[in-house]
Amino acid sequence: MEAGTIARPLSSHETAVPHAKPRTGILKWLLTTDHKLIGVMYIWLAFFFFSVAGIFAMIMRAQLSAPGLHVVRPEVYNQIMSLHGTFMVFFFTIPIMAGIANYVVPIQIGARDMAFPRVNAVSFWMLVPAGLFMLVSLFLKSGSAAAGWTSYPPLTDRQFSPGPGVDLWILGLHLAGASSILGGINFVVTILNLRSPGMSMLKMPMFCWNVIITQTIILFATPVLAGALTMLLTDRMFGTSFFHAQAGGDPVLWQHLFWFYSHPAVYIMVLPGMGMVSQILPAFSGKHLFGYKGMVLATAGIGFIGYMVWGHHMFATGMSPGLRQFFSFASMVIAVPTGIKIWSWLATIWGGSIRFKTPMLFALGFISLFIIGGITGVWLALVPFDVQVHDTYFVVAHLHYVLFGGSLMSIMAGMYYWFPKISGKLYNEFWGKVHFWLTFIGMNLTFMPMHAMGMLGMPRRIYTYRPEFAVWNHVSSLGAAILGIGMLIFVLNMLLSLWRGKPSPPDPWAHLDQNRTLEWTTTSPPPAENFHTIPVMR
Amino acid sequence: MNPRSRWTMLLIFGLGITAAAVLAGPAGAWLIHPATSIARDVRSLFYKAVAITAFFFILAEGILLVAVLKFRAKPGVPPAKWHENLRLEILWTAIPALAMVILSGPSFTTERYMERIPKSDVQIEVVGHQWFWEYRYPKYGVIFANEPLVLPAGKIVSANVTSIDVVHSWFVPEFGIKMDANPGRINHVWFNVDKTGTYEGQCAELCGVLHAQMLITVNVVTPEEFERWIEQKKKGA
Repeated sequence: MEAGTIARPLSSHETAVPHAKPRTGILKWLLTTDHKLIGVMYIWLAFFFFSVAGIFAMIMRAQLSAPGLHVVRPEVYNQIMSLHGTFMVFFFTIPIMAGIANYVVPIQIGARDMAFPRVNAVSFWMLVPAGLFMLVSLFLKSGSAAAGWTSYPPLTDRQFSPGPGVDLWILGLHLAGASSILGGINFVVTILNLRSPGMSMLKMPMFCWNVIITQTIILFATPVLAGALTMLLTDRMFGTSFFHAQAGGDPVLWQHLFWFYSHPAVYIMVLPGMGMVSQILPAFSGKHLFGYKGMVLATAGIGFIGYMVWGHHMFATGMSPGLRQFFSFASMVIAVPTGIKIWSWLATIWGGSIRFKTPMLFALGFISLFIIGGITGVWLALVPFDVQVHDTYFVVAHLHYVLFGGSLMSIMAGMYYWFPKISGKLYNEFWGKVHFWLTFIGMNLTFMPMHAMGMLGMPRRIYTYRPEFAVWNHVSSLGAAILGIGMLIFVLNMLLSLWRGKPSPPDPWAHLDQNRTLEWTTTSPPPAENFHTIPVMR
Repeated sequence: MNPRSRWTMLLIFGLGITAAAVLAGPAGAWLIHPATSIARDVRSLFYKAVAITAFFFILAEGILLVAVLKFRAKPGVPPAKWHENLRLEILWTAIPALAMVILSGPSFTTERYMERIPKSDVQIEVVGHQWFWEYRYPKYGVIFANEPLVLPAGKIVSANVTSIDVVHSWFVPEFGIKMDANPGRINHVWFNVDKTGTYEGQCAELCGVLHAQMLITVNVVTPEEFERWIEQKKKGA
């Protein structure tokens, strides 16, 4: 190779690499560097942790279904509550977005694989021990980390959390973070360099735009979390005092560093889902995505402003007034690009020819629920109102409208949309719709009453509560049971369809003569290296 | 009824529940009795926020509902071809931006009102412990823990809030007051409770196993009763 040139990846259109004979059995999965197999493993792993965290949620709602119950002991409640948050964020939502993107992005841009296939495998395999460390910590005598997914010191200091639970939590997050960073590099390089000939950035499918912006956020934000985790670890292990007030440190510093990552993390969890919705709405309404360029700008805008709002998680810490106003206004400004996306989706379906398949139902459900999460988000940006409901169930309601109504609904939309492509089988449409309606109704029953609990003054993260909050909690627990049944139906539908679903054509959603993204031009599932000849865009 | 219109009915039903719950839930449940000037201001700010955002909420959910009902695929009716409209895009960027600027006005005003601590009649210190509250009246030399805080009605109370161990948060919903108790820092709040009565709150920042049991009770009494109580407390302690 000459100095100054960059090696062209093998997956460019000239070279289809002849392969040694394909592996079979378990080794096929363990040793693979194929983005599709890795993507599928990400999805399985994410759903494993989703089930665990979902069961934790059910136990919490059982404990909270009436005041003064003893379904679990308080210390156990705190552990499963902490791991529910941690698993849902770091081991379900972020990985499943990475998994679906892993599968779909290279095909959508007409590439044969990710830019760094081995790094891709490393990213995935780091996540397995990471999650297991945390899961195993539940069975320790001293229990797992129990200070919420935010793990504020001093509660997480050695003095107040003496067992190895918090150390395993830190180790797990470090590994998950490193996995994210490697994945981030891989996605950014892949999307920048491996697009098929003729596919300029502004011809990319919207999902790819959302993924590259998300992965850029991951690249800039995750190292800050890693730094904070290291500081917490050395405080616990080696007697440093970054967060020890009595030795000149400050616990509030952790909150700044944690939220500097974890607020952008909300966009890491939501933007890829918005990308999926931006593919699904046009597909089922027979129209082009409205305002493509505006959507790209809005997504980038959310990614950028998302870095300047972390302080809105800390309005009650005694932050200086000027700073509070800055964070308050910046948080309100986020509503503008978010609004652009919502209006553009509405304009996309307006005048269309809408087919109500399961992915479309979830995409529409996503819009209707995300609007609610967005609006309560604006309220929470107002400092006086935020102080009133901060750390109460109102915030729990808001974040679930964003992460359940937003992320999870879009993940489900994406799962149903790409299931035929990934598995080569068709799922059962009737049970898909049943799943949607149970989820949509159960979701509102579970989380809508939490707004009221919070306004009445019920704090979050409590294992039991004063009797005046009982009515709303009964309703919420009932909703959770409906949600649980919906999710069981989803799992059964997916497993049965995998087993004996009808074979899927290359594009099961074909309708009229729409322009379709590249994954629908190849077989279901696509062959090794995705395309027999690399498509050329005009 | 054919299956399609049944789905439609279900969808309307679902969205109807959503809308009704959004409007009814918080409106009915909101701070039943704000007991301080700050809590009243917070509530009126909340109403302003609801009024401004309700416009966007109804518009967006309404368009969604109409689109879903109106643009169901029908044979022989092709979808529209348009997918751009610069004027529309400028409009839906500018109007929400303007609304946010308008909304920030009353928010900042209320915030400044909360932050400027006036000359107070009673000063207290609030110290969080795992899992109880310690209260001090420095002027009277009274210190106690694990029993209700007693305050005079109609007087300006200022509180210095801190913690001895982990982060706690002193939260009484009817006062509109929530302030983190951070070890190594002292935070300041003020309030003026209008009416005598008993007010309940509890710690709002996860502080360990018994976080849920870290309750707050404030007995607000007349200034005369308060004087009697504090004299008794000075002697009794």
